[in-house]
Amino acid sequence: MRMLSEDDLNLEDMSAEELDAAWDLWFDVAQTTNAADPPYNHGVFADVLPAAPWSQAEANSEPTRQSVVDSR
Amino acid sequence: MGNIYFQLTEAFNARQITVALASGQAVVYYRIAIMSKDGDWIVRETPEACEHVLAELEKRGATYRPSPPLDVRWLSGGWSSHFEFVDERVRRVRCDFMSRPPRVDLATVERLFANADPGSRLLAIDLESLILMKRSQRAKDYAVIGELASRLPPEREIDLTTDPDRVLELAPQHGQASSRPAVRAALSGAGRRTVVLALAEETDELQEDDRRRLARYEAAAREYLAACRRAAIARMPLREAHGRLRELADRLLPAELPPGGIDHANA
Repeated sequence: MRMLSEDDLNLEDMSAEELDAAWDLWFDVAQTTNAADPPYNHGVFADVLPAAPWSQAEANSEPTRQSVVDSR
Repeated sequence: MGNIYFQLTEAFNARQITVALASGQAVVYYRIAIMSKDGDWIVRETPEACEHVLAELEKRGATYRPSPPLDVRWLSGGWSSHFEFVDERVRRVRCDFMSRPPRVDLATVERLFANADPGSRLLAIDLESLILMKRSQRAKDYAVIGELASRLPPEREIDLTTDPDRVLELAPQHGQASSRPAVRAALSGAGRRTVVLALAEETDELQEDDRRRLARYEAAAREYLAACRRAAIARMPLREAHGRLRELADRLLPAELPPGGIDHANA
């Protein structure tokens, strides 16, 4: 029984570069849901912190990039 | 371009092996599926490892999210520390650290670091430990477990798979000594439906175990997290937040939970 779809499972045939590119694209697209994401997906804090106030707080205070690591 | 969580793993391990990729990004590492916007790592339980991780995060302008401080005192009690920064492409990067992954024994974690190839900076948790970590409350994790288990030798797969067809297929040759109800059902000839039901019951028990485990942490963290919220930790520079969190945790967050079965938590 296949537990994940073919789309999920076709990673094995990819080269490292293709996997990097696929993940990178996926991560870009996934940013669109940031404001709607729960503050924590799992663990203790998912339940302790009410979702709405934290989501709102985060939406109002998108972190700014203070520094970028030297990528050389 | 590339997986920023893989790149971070290499940065954390640049001088010495300090972390191992876990959870969703380890699933990507094993090429099972692309999942999780966050990065989770197992960090060595030493002050030096914590300091090195904090320094790398500070370089990237990371801030703490409300959570325990990245300090061996709380890590060793099963707590985890959470951070966030925005990368050069203005993408939100979330980084979580623990040293006692849930349901994985300490000796296994110690072996992971002791046996790590010093020549490779991209280290991920082993498959069996990843499966144990994935025994969470989330239903989707059990589909991933089935795929992860398929990468194991059959004599281990039968103990860990969540796939009823694999249980039925493997049981005659590899299940004779198993006490797992689904395997016993397969061996008894009771039919596929019985195996499916046994696996469903097992999953439900695992989810309930995880719920009980986290409930104890939730109760212990309530006052501390309220104080974090009042202190606006997420707006502080990293080092200032670290100091403040240690102060708050000292007063409000028990490093070790009272007896009752911490069982290798990751809160």
